[in-house]
Amino acid sequence: MASLSLIDVHKRYGSTAVLDGVSLEMEKKEFIAFLGPSGSGKSTLLRIIAGLETADSGEVWLDGRRIDGLTPGDRGVALVFQQYALYPHMTVRENMAFGLRNAKVPASEITTRIEQAARTLEIDQLLDRKPGQLSGGQRQRVAIGRAIVKAPKLFLLDEPLSNLDAALRNRTRVELAQLRQRVDAAVIMVTHDQAEAMTLADRIVVMSDRSIQQVGTPMEIYDRPANRFVAGFVGSPAMTMLPVTLDPSGNADAIVRLGNGTLIATQIKREELTGETSFDLGLRPESVTVAAVGAGTLDAEAVIVERLGDRTLVYARLDDGSEITAVDRGDSKLHMGDRLGLLIDGRSAHLFGSDGSGYHAEQTI
Amino acid sequence: MTRHDRFGGFAFVLPFVGFYSFLLILPFFMGLWISLHRADLFGARKWVGLDNYVRLFGDPVFYQAMGTTFTLALLIVPALTVITLLLALALNRATRSAAIFRGLFFSSSVLSVTIVTLIWRFVLTPDAGLIAKVFTAVGLEPIPFLSHPDWTIPAIAITTIWWGLGLPMMLFLAGLQQIPQDMYEAAALDRASRWTTFFRITLPSLRRTTILVVMLQTAAQLQIFGQAQLLTSGGPSGSSRPIVLYIYEIAFGRWELGYAVAAAEVLFLLVLVLTLAQYWLSTRKEDAIR
Amino acid sequence: MSAAATRNRLPLPALIGVVIGAAIMVAPLLWTLLLSLKSNSELMRDSAAALSPPYTLGNYRDILAGSDVPLWLLNSLIVSLGTTAAVLLLCSLAGYGFARLDFPCRRSLFIFVLLGLAIPEQAVILPRHQLFASMGWHNSYGGLILPGLAAPFGVFFMTQYFRAIPKDLDEAAMLDGASRFRIFWKVLLPLSLPAQATLGVFTFLGSWNDYWWPLISATTSDKYTLTVGLASSQMNYAQTSGLGFLMAQAVFASIPILIVYIIFQKQIVGAMAGAATR
Repeated sequence: MASLSLIDVHKRYGSTAVLDGVSLEMEKKEFIAFLGPSGSGKSTLLRIIAGLETADSGEVWLDGRRIDGLTPGDRGVALVFQQYALYPHMTVRENMAFGLRNAKVPASEITTRIEQAARTLEIDQLLDRKPGQLSGGQRQRVAIGRAIVKAPKLFLLDEPLSNLDAALRNRTRVELAQLRQRVDAAVIMVTHDQAEAMTLADRIVVMSDRSIQQVGTPMEIYDRPANRFVAGFVGSPAMTMLPVTLDPSGNADAIVRLGNGTLIATQIKREELTGETSFDLGLRPESVTVAAVGAGTLDAEAVIVERLGDRTLVYARLDDGSEITAVDRGDSKLHMGDRLGLLIDGRSAHLFGSDGSGYHAEQTI
Repeated sequence: MTRHDRFGGFAFVLPFVGFYSFLLILPFFMGLWISLHRADLFGARKWVGLDNYVRLFGDPVFYQAMGTTFTLALLIVPALTVITLLLALALNRATRSAAIFRGLFFSSSVLSVTIVTLIWRFVLTPDAGLIAKVFTAVGLEPIPFLSHPDWTIPAIAITTIWWGLGLPMMLFLAGLQQIPQDMYEAAALDRASRWTTFFRITLPSLRRTTILVVMLQTAAQLQIFGQAQLLTSGGPSGSSRPIVLYIYEIAFGRWELGYAVAAAEVLFLLVLVLTLAQYWLSTRKEDAIR
Repeated sequence: MSAAATRNRLPLPALIGVVIGAAIMVAPLLWTLLLSLKSNSELMRDSAAALSPPYTLGNYRDILAGSDVPLWLLNSLIVSLGTTAAVLLLCSLAGYGFARLDFPCRRSLFIFVLLGLAIPEQAVILPRHQLFASMGWHNSYGGLILPGLAAPFGVFFMTQYFRAIPKDLDEAAMLDGASRFRIFWKVLLPLSLPAQATLGVFTFLGSWNDYWWPLISATTSDKYTLTVGLASSQMNYAQTSGLGFLMAQAVFASIPILIVYIIFQKQIVGAMAGAATR
């Protein structure tokens, strides 16, 4: 049985639609990330699940119970706020106890639950402090603790790492990964940071423009992006897009022709490409490697050379002016303005039709 | 907000709105109504239309009271504004003594009008007052502050200024605190003199505060009442009777409620115009003035 | 004034000015205190006697033993504390409602309340006197307290304060299963304590020092507040015959409010400035 189901959720503010028919099924104990740019509707969706917003139409089910008519407190969900939203005038212990008291949980059990959660999160020394006396990382643990003690069926995390500095962010990411092992509940995390989503989530829901663009495991999203938006949004640096036409020479696998006539053999089934002849060729940086001038698929000029240590990213310009991102070895000798050859690996290339939908090689490498 | 408590919010604002409507809005409209009647304090009413207002504008005592009110405002408001501005400039520093002086100059504001007039009555009174004693000691004739028509209005003004220093001083201090320090640093780098800095930076920056102080004080002094009633009873022969005291005397001395309320409505209009003027002046673009 | 000047010592002419000003502030107070410490008979001969000993607490003994002043003090306390408590309750509830809850006509109701800021007391006091007379409310604590409850500024002030509290906290409490009223009572009200203190002190001062309304509403001396009581003493005493006693009343009546001022100096000053800069 699914843990959370969303059925055709619609939401609009005035004349602006923010969610346009969103449906989703979550597995038990699954960790899902809502990934998307700001304004994509992901936060609104989270708030609708929590009950802080009301959907105009659609249904929300949790563990076989319809919850969209219930108050937030009755839904069996817990939300960790982006700014933590700890009650400033209550101690950590009182913060954690507040929800349980409202739910009329017996005092002895409240104590047990708080102490257990505090031990797990290593905040047992902080129970009698107030939020103002805690560091950012400690506040976040308290916020998580306040959610845990409620033993919810579903955890909602709103941009949980965005308020932490880089060092703490990595540590907290590991802790969140451990947390989901420990709790017997599903988790939804809203984020605009693809690295967070890729490392933490079982499945990612990519949202943009009021609706779900793709639902899939991190590797599915990365390797088989459903459309041009997902391909461009996930992956850093972004996937290069080059306009191509379908060449009649291919057999089962499509062969495409670049603007300058270069042919590139893909492993995308020709029969999947329904009728169209113009496409965008999508190339991840790792599919394009640097070679000597004239030795590659085509030649280009280096515009920016970004040395990352283990590898070098080369942003190059083709002779027709279009831009392409390539990868070179860490000790690359390239400089800005150098001519170079580019070796394109057509086997891992993607094609995107005029409606944006993506076509991928049968087998990824 | 969920749809469950669409009307729940009423429960929170209703108690206040109820009291407010009954105690402020209802009397306000009752006042408009009563002013169109010949009415006494005991409930007798007769519709007279605008008669009360017509009578008011033909009543020399009303004009006298208006004159007294404006004289008082003209004496008090400029003096109060200048004195409190100077005090704020002098006391706008982070020393302990400045804090003590600020507390001292504000302290009179927390006293009630009765206490203030009681104190000042025996400072001003010619037979037993402090000033009289000082004058006698240096061989001068004591000034009949509370009994001579030339001195009653200044006496009320002095008392009012002493009583009311605190608030405008604090407003000016707050205004001074809001002037960005880097403007002074820039001026210092431009070798601006002390006076140039004061007239070109400090004073223009206090424009809004000054408007606020002048308007608040004018509105307050137009409604001056207790000081006049308690110090001079408006006398001698009405020479120090401001408009609110006039209203009070008509209502509770002559029991002519409708007439008194009509006078109150005129005063209300005056204060309203002033409030709107302040709003208009302070929301105008700063540049339009400079 | 340059930036440095605010840290420097005051220039001499300004210092002299401030000291003279301070003397003018203090002299009347000191004079009053000294007069209150002299016997009436001594002052009848010459009030300058106040400048030299012997001093006596006799006038204060008379106040406590045989006068209405302690009763008026009690009346003032009841009226001022009652007004303050009721204003805090009403304005907090309404402020929370306007700041946080959504209900039909919320905006127009809020504007309706703000309009009250433009109505001065003079425009309503006489009709209100009529209204209270017809209800038979004069000469009662209720009659003295009620007019203070129509405090649109308090609602405006509390609304602004509640609006500045992050809405996340309400939502966290909603997810914690708290009811509307419980969110108000357990989360927002405790967080608004600084505003409560400011509004409370402001209301208390205003009520304590109010003169116009108690003057016309409380007409029997057993319901006088201190302000009205002292006014009646002032009118009743022939100039100097009870001078020391009268001044002792002034001092006695000032003490509670000066204590409040010293304790709550910060809130009072803040409230005054805040009230004026609305």
